[in-house]
Amino acid sequence: MIRTRLPLPLYLQFWDLFLIELSNWRWAWRNLVLTGTVLPLFGILLLGSFARELGSNALSFVLTGNLVMALLFEHMGKMISHFSYMKTAGSLDYFATLPVRKAVLILAASVAFFILFLPSLVVVLAGGALILRLELEVHPLAFVVVPLCALPLAGIGALMGVTFRTPEEASAVGRLLTVIMLTAGPVLIPPDRLPDWLVWLGYLSPATYAASALRQVLLGPLAMRLLLDSAVLAACILISFWMVDRMMDWREG
Amino acid sequence: MKSSPDTVYSVYSLTKVYAGTNRPANEAISFNVEQGVIFGLLGDNGAGKSTLVKQMANLLRPTSGGVVLYGKPVQEDPFLVPLHVGYMPQTARTLNSLTVSEALYFTSHLRGCSRRGADSERERLLHLWDLHDIRSELCSRLSGGQQRLLQLAAAMAGQPPVLILDEPTNELAPQRRRHVWETLRAENRERGTTIIFITHDAIEAEKTVQQVGIMHKGRMVALGKPSELKREMNQQLRLALHFDPASPPDLPGDLRPQELAEGHWLVLLDQDRVEATLSALDLSRIDDFQLHSATLEDLYLYYT
Repeated sequence: MIRTRLPLPLYLQFWDLFLIELSNWRWAWRNLVLTGTVLPLFGILLLGSFARELGSNALSFVLTGNLVMALLFEHMGKMISHFSYMKTAGSLDYFATLPVRKAVLILAASVAFFILFLPSLVVVLAGGALILRLELEVHPLAFVVVPLCALPLAGIGALMGVTFRTPEEASAVGRLLTVIMLTAGPVLIPPDRLPDWLVWLGYLSPATYAASALRQVLLGPLAMRLLLDSAVLAACILISFWMVDRMMDWREG
Repeated sequence: MKSSPDTVYSVYSLTKVYAGTNRPANEAISFNVEQGVIFGLLGDNGAGKSTLVKQMANLLRPTSGGVVLYGKPVQEDPFLVPLHVGYMPQTARTLNSLTVSEALYFTSHLRGCSRRGADSERERLLHLWDLHDIRSELCSRLSGGQQRLLQLAAAMAGQPPVLILDEPTNELAPQRRRHVWETLRAENRERGTTIIFITHDAIEAEKTVQQVGIMHKGRMVALGKPSELKREMNQQLRLALHFDPASPPDLPGDLRPQELAEGHWLVLLDQDRVEATLSALDLSRIDDFQLHSATLEDLYLYYT
């Protein structure tokens, strides 16, 4: 007679994995302070000095663009390095030999790293608004929109982390993708200052929709465009998690 | 290879060729592991042992052949291995951000124990592996030996019916090694747990292993009970002699010793010559001697 247990219900799997992933604050907080807070604030300071003469619209792009940059570097970048480290160190093998669903692990890691990143986001937002002398109008929808901006990037990060052979490769490609997503489309720079082809290219990048949605819920005013941005970001979450679940094989080839 | 109702694992024609290499890491391996057996995999570095157990744990896709666990191919159901097998990997850097206590609690809970059950399982494992004093330490700060013990405890969390352990005694001090083997024997005896383990060290596995597979250059070169395999070797007894190298003992004229080290000979003896040989030895010139039949280490050396 074989003794076996049943797998935990999905919500309990999520909660355990979320707590395990949240424990990464024990090593990650120093990096979060430095690259998640200090670097974006310097970026705001630098770009803000150029954008000031272009008016408040340009400054709003500087602020929300730097928030997206922080999300890309910190949230997506952390997911890339975390998953590639887990692959190298054998942690993925550990999780693969437990009765847990890999989509739940990815969701738990995404949410945990997002929560770890939130304090930096708040500091960058408040500090950036102060530096740029912008008046914040935070709409309650921000509590929905900000996670909507973060989760698609986390899914992409997890996929990259497990796809590339070494953490170095994954991290290099991640940085390249970050630069492409920041420059393709009106993320840091208003669309009237960009060539048309770059604006059109931006429609393919989730960062464009994230920057637009953040501008509306943090600086106002809300427009119908928010519906489009949210729908695209939600679709990106579904597609990226579906892809990760389908493409991420815990077994080595 | 035919399986029986008691077969836990059935491995057939298993071959793995890693991308970018020509030589298979393992090739045409077939064997069964029966319920309640302690199965030892021996072999030197690069023999393909870790590749084999990773395939058995469904962590590595075979190039050809397959692995069946309790009658089902392991790749068919992603929860088949996790619900039945506790796996201890060779590397030990998996849960660096957790404390020892947290790692054991979460592993037990995720293996399906209730919250209360996971609490008591954690306490049982902390006690079993003598980890109480370091329960609040971060896993990343543990020594190599402590990490191994934690990995062993985590593999056993939730009491899975099968354990696969990749070099469980690496980096452990001698008394800890002994404790590991005693604990694994007790686990097997009391719960009927099937244990599959890898080791380089045939001497330490001798008292534990009930069935052995010896791997050499990716192939399974010997398989069976140690006693059966020993019968295939020559039936001579082994007389080990330790002495002061400055004054080696005299042996009867036709005996040729193998010098294993300075002051350490091994003499192969037919059974009917034992008494005469021992009588002829000048024991005052010998520090220590042992007479024994073939050991697992002899088997290992014979087949590799």
